[in-house]
Amino acid sequence: MKLDPAIRDQVLATVPSLRAFAISLSGNVDRADDLVQETLLRALAHIDSFQPGTNMPAWLFTILRNLFRSEYRKRRREVEDADGRYAETLKSHPEQTGRVEFNEFRAALAKLPSDQREALILVGASGFSYEDAAAICGCAVGTIKSRVNRARTRLADLLAIDNVDDFGPDRATRAVLAGGGRS
Amino acid sequence: MNTGKTVNLQPPPANADKADELEAMGKAATQRKGEVRLGREVQARIGQQLRGMYDEVVNQGVPKHIDDLVRRLTDQDDGVA
Repeated sequence: MKLDPAIRDQVLATVPSLRAFAISLSGNVDRADDLVQETLLRALAHIDSFQPGTNMPAWLFTILRNLFRSEYRKRRREVEDADGRYAETLKSHPEQTGRVEFNEFRAALAKLPSDQREALILVGASGFSYEDAAAICGCAVGTIKSRVNRARTRLADLLAIDNVDDFGPDRATRAVLAGGGRS
Repeated sequence: MNTGKTVNLQPPPANADKADELEAMGKAATQRKGEVRLGREVQARIGQQLRGMYDEVVNQGVPKHIDDLVRRLTDQDDGVA
């Protein structure tokens, strides 16, 4: 098909973010790239159903998510073993933040239920509005909000970060206190 | 006075002090808000790490094979599907 180059460019411009989302869903770079490819094949095959002027990223994300979900049901076990896999796949680029902190964060993220992780990423990293995220996930805006909230709370829990003002002792101290046992 | 779990199932006796009821309601409300009230600093840190992780991938740009694929599919004259 001859496609309007402007539309094609919109598609291409979405790819990096689409990949990041796919990796966060599937927890595996290779599968993520397959997923992105499959998404693009579908999208381009049905490009007529995209209305120019509407939100291209949201459209592509929706397709990718649906693909992932239908595949995911078949392979649930593999993905739910997120603790290992998701953390592991992404371990390879540690420079930016402290290595330990970063890996810790990834491991914690991997422990979230997938619907919460997905919501948090769409809103907190991909930069979608709650409304767009709700459309992508096929649920109510309120549902997205509450998933994002729960995801944040749980992450804070897992990472043992809290309001320092409220809790006084720093993380190391609290770890000692928590693990210190009785004697 | 601590009804704890199920506030709704048992309406308080007629003369139970209003205070309890109000307290329960207030508590529910704070808890609901409490979900959000994580503290700005904590939220900021989570957001920062989340974006850091995500942007690592974003910054890799469009992998060549995907770029090729899209261009190939969109340049040809006959249908894609």
